Amino acid sequence: MLRCSALNENGDWENVKLGLYMTTDWKPAKITLSEWSRQFRAIPDELIKKFLYYQNPEWGIYLSPPATFMVYGARELKHLKFDNSLAALRLWGFLFNESERLFRAKQIGKRVIATMGDLGTIPIIIMSFPDCIPFYPECLWWAPFFNESNVLLDKASELGVPEAACFSKAVLSAFYKKAYFPRPDLLIAATGASCDDYSCIMQLLEEIGYHLFWVEIPSRRGRKEYFVGEEYVMTQEGLFYPKRFEKYLVQEYKRIWEKMVELTGVNDLTRLSKTIKQVNHLRQRVEKIKELSATAPIAPFPALELMEIEFGNLYGYADFDEWLDIMEMVLETIEDRVAKGLGVLSEDAIPIAWVTPSADPFLLNLVEDLGCRVVATEYLIRQALVKIKEDGDPFSALAHSFFNASLIGSTQERIRRIQDYINAGKITGVLITNVLGCSHCAMETRLIEKALQNVPVLAIDVPAPTGITEQLKTRIAAFVETMRDIWKS
Amino acid sequence: MTSRERFSLLVIDEQSDRCNVMPLITSHAATVSGIPLKRYYTDGQAMAEAQIIAIEKYRHDAISIFSEVGIIAEALGSEFIYPDDDLPVLKTPVLNKSSITSIKIPDPKSDGRLPLYLEAIDYTYKAVGDRIPILAYVPAPFTTGMMLAEPEKFLIATIKNSHQVKEIMEICLQAAIEFSYEIIDAGGLPIIVDPLASASVISPKTYKEFAWFYEKKLIDFLHRYDLDVILHICGDTTPIIDLLPETKADLISIDQVDLSLIRDKIGGKMRLIGNFDTSLLTFGDSSIIIEKTQEMVKEGMKNAKGYIAATGCEVPIKTPEENVKAFITAAKEAGLIWQEIKKETLPLSSE
Repeated sequence: MLRCSALNENGDWENVKLGLYMTTDWKPAKITLSEWSRQFRAIPDELIKKFLYYQNPEWGIYLSPPATFMVYGARELKHLKFDNSLAALRLWGFLFNESERLFRAKQIGKRVIATMGDLGTIPIIIMSFPDCIPFYPECLWWAPFFNESNVLLDKASELGVPEAACFSKAVLSAFYKKAYFPRPDLLIAATGASCDDYSCIMQLLEEIGYHLFWVEIPSRRGRKEYFVGEEYVMTQEGLFYPKRFEKYLVQEYKRIWEKMVELTGVNDLTRLSKTIKQVNHLRQRVEKIKELSATAPIAPFPALELMEIEFGNLYGYADFDEWLDIMEMVLETIEDRVAKGLGVLSEDAIPIAWVTPSADPFLLNLVEDLGCRVVATEYLIRQALVKIKEDGDPFSALAHSFFNASLIGSTQERIRRIQDYINAGKITGVLITNVLGCSHCAMETRLIEKALQNVPVLAIDVPAPTGITEQLKTRIAAFVETMRDIWKS
Repeated sequence: MTSRERFSLLVIDEQSDRCNVMPLITSHAATVSGIPLKRYYTDGQAMAEAQIIAIEKYRHDAISIFSEVGIIAEALGSEFIYPDDDLPVLKTPVLNKSSITSIKIPDPKSDGRLPLYLEAIDYTYKAVGDRIPILAYVPAPFTTGMMLAEPEKFLIATIKNSHQVKEIMEICLQAAIEFSYEIIDAGGLPIIVDPLASASVISPKTYKEFAWFYEKKLIDFLHRYDLDVILHICGDTTPIIDLLPETKADLISIDQVDLSLIRDKIGGKMRLIGNFDTSLLTFGDSSIIIEKTQEMVKEGMKNAKGYIAATGCEVPIKTPEENVKAFITAAKEAGLIWQEIKKETLPLSSE
């Protein structure tokens, strides 16, 4: 168990479990940036130096309060509320440090590999090679919102992407500007299951001088009744796909493997099996975090942090080992809170499902502030949450796990998943945050909305940075009020 | 590339499109904007507006929230006169009328003119903070200490009554830390300025005992936040050159010293900022300014740890605009790194 000196309830330093008791006022809460800054004063220097990315004491420190990242341009942090645990502080510091981390990785001789569009599987292959760091450029779609800035979006427009395109266009600008991550040693672009706008963005990268290594992913899983006369397989989530899809995907993964062998000179398949075990360990931790967060009488952790955790499952934010350690601490914190009956929201918070991740993190704060609690999510990354088979051929295991992906499934599957929560009485309403320009959202949201007749459903288009109007807030508030009546009854 | 992107790359040892260009445009912004000087240093919004107008006009790479080094001393109780057409002048040092023990650590949100600085940071951060770093100047303990007493008496006390001076230094350090806390929460990057610790004013021995020690403590505090700390010392710093890296500042802003000498001695350990002669900037003609700027930038960019083209000290208030423009344009051209970037496109981004 990780231990160090920290302040107890009486304001005295003592040797206690990290993450649980860090200030004189350690009762779980969501706090503002300024409150975090005040709380940060109590953190001893040795604790700040204890947590390092890539274990580098010279520049690997990341335990900084949100104010640090605000100083460097993340303006939305001034308006957000954060969990007050040490675990959350690590989480935020680590997240906002990713850009620097990628540059440092390259400086110390690691290979930085951009994986685009596949959402969750290809990084496992990359991490199986020594000193290779995968990252998802698409995670930069949050940057314009965290920075409350149109810099990246405007640049994308200058580069020829239409204004109405998905916020993932920020990725094109980031590649153009060369200021957000180093030039990758390899760019792996997945086409097929990727959304339309993002496919265009990936193609445009070639226009500005990047060479992409293209792989194809089956664009749709299909339905069992269509697989007449052919072999099909059931996923861990009870979904079906034709066996030939798996064979095809295995071929594609092997192509990536060979490319990585060519790049690194290493060809050791046992490393892939080991990585799968490590990834499963992380996924189990995150599953437990999600489960406790959803089922505890009082929400033990905020929705915004939980969304970042869920996405961290994809690749560990470019330092898998450190991210895993952070997740251990988050889980420890949550378990402690649940055991003590403590949490960050009120006991009567209305349980809801959140469908499609919000481009603007502020919305997750807002909905909780209005009295809701997110107990179920459908963020289109199901494939990154399931356990991968650890026996047999590792490529087949990876392909099999990928077929749980929401992106290649039908809308009916997503509806069914949400309906299961409703039928189990776990949620009172559903909030869908549309992604502007996203090919999935345009039609799918309407279908989900229409299908879920038995609970209040609110679908909103997430506006561009700083675009959340009072009118939108009022719509959300009215939605919450509607649910409150149902929840009370 | 925006100024913020450019600066963010510099501090992690990466190359950007061109050299950062950050002349110390402080109160000169009042002249450029047409805002009366007295209003500039007594009204936070006016200070912010002046800075934004200056950056729109010059397209340099940082906002500089600052007027003069007495702000913390004033908040600690020293009295200043506010002339209409000049910067505040020390009238009555607090220790002329009170004892050390009666001095209270100021609340930056309410005492002296510290709140207006915070207002200016907040305003500029909201306006351009996504694209441009907001540098907020914090007088270092020694410089503040010199303004809590009659300067001559203070300097004599460093020899005859060092214990008392250190008591004062501790107060000044705490005040600087409290001010820095609020600056950071407002979105500003504190830049430590210690003009009165210059070797032009005090000996290296006095510097080490009374200035360096507290600069280092303040820098240690800022490093807890993992911030990249800039230390500016005016005048001649050659005699204290070996002590500068030991402050642990990440960037050192220098004034009247030989840039190549500093680079050779400490450049491998610190990023350098500087050091164009501000007299030449004010009184020289543009052709000389361009030539000397190019020479300076070429020297500075040889520094392994990185370099920011800047003036050695604040741009004098009445410096002709065309001279400042000549300096900035020349520095950008001489500091070009990525050859494909030929011109600036966006008015505020310095892209």
